[in-house]
Amino acid sequence: MNNLKFEATQYTPEISLETYGEINIKGKSYPENTFEFYMPILQWLRTYFTEPNAPHSLTVNVEITYFNSSSSKLFFDFFDILDANKENFNITVNWIFDQENDSAKEAGEDFIEDFVDLTIHLIAK
Amino acid sequence: MEHDVIKNPLIVELELLRANFDKTTEKLIKDIQRHEKIMTKADKRQKQEYDELQRKFAEVEALQKEIEETQKEVIFTMGSIGESRSKETGNHVRRVAEYSKLIALHYGLSEHDAEMLKQASPMHDIGKVAIPDAILNKPGKLTPEEFEIMKKHTELGYDMLKHSHRPLLQTAAIVAHEHHEKFNGQGYPRGLKGANIHIYSRITAFADVFDALGNQRCYKPAWSDEEIFNFFHKERGEHFDPKIVDIFFKHLSEFLHIRETFKDPI
Repeated sequence: MNNLKFEATQYTPEISLETYGEINIKGKSYPENTFEFYMPILQWLRTYFTEPNAPHSLTVNVEITYFNSSSSKLFFDFFDILDANKENFNITVNWIFDQENDSAKEAGEDFIEDFVDLTIHLIAK
Repeated sequence: MEHDVIKNPLIVELELLRANFDKTTEKLIKDIQRHEKIMTKADKRQKQEYDELQRKFAEVEALQKEIEETQKEVIFTMGSIGESRSKETGNHVRRVAEYSKLIALHYGLSEHDAEMLKQASPMHDIGKVAIPDAILNKPGKLTPEEFEIMKKHTELGYDMLKHSHRPLLQTAAIVAHEHHEKFNGQGYPRGLKGANIHIYSRITAFADVFDALGNQRCYKPAWSDEEIFNFFHKERGEHFDPKIVDIFFKHLSEFLHIRETFKDPI
């Protein structure tokens, strides 16, 4: 299993997936084909949880400033995978948002509401 | 024999199916609810974004209008400065602007180009700001030396305007440079001939002369319409582009209407 890195584009966020147990997603997310774009990320996450040598903790830092509805859907799928593995892994999500950005804040609140057993921190910048 | 473990296998299967069905249904309901939530949020965001976008568009539009108006005013004022030095009235540049647009449209230029010429033509004499008052406002005829200096206002104007990349100022630069060229090549400063003189300049040259002839100047009285018409007939293809002279006579009433609308206060 390898680290994965995606540079930010006009439509997609910068993403780094670190095998030592950290995921960083930062930027805007409104790709033309959202599902296709996030496919390798979800795949990496699934592999992480089945990897025997993977660390037992995972920190996810998400700072999304703008996103389309398909991205919301993909974030839910992403959180589903986290949720399914919360018993065996020590998972922490830091949902980072700008004070002014109500949409980003509300999205974070939605995840907390839907995934009550996940540790999700809302962090206002 | 343990009678309590005996269960109809069909029932076992059905119970299993029901459990699966419940699980799937639960997941489907959850998915649908999630989807609805996403859509509601997306609609809300979309509305905010579109409201914001419209607000910004309105702002940009207002700003653009402001810029355009300012530009027009600055250009018009520059033109007036050039004219004021030679004791013209502000209405002269206004009329030249209107005549220029009218001719441009009848000549077949696009509305955009005609409008640009209208805005640029008032600057044709801007170079006169650099001509000494004694020559500019001299009653009577200039000496050959004085006339040589006077002629320089075309190049002076061009030099003032040529550095800008704005289409409007480029147009103004061309017109300032060439508005004393004559169709037959006898004009100044370069003695350009026919179509080598930019159409903008040929148009403004006509508009400027037409307006100047009908008004009194420090060096001449106002001409009658008859004198003006005779002059244009004589200069058709000489001083002026014949097509412009034809346009003038064909649409004379429109020219006279502009003259009347923007006449100088008595």
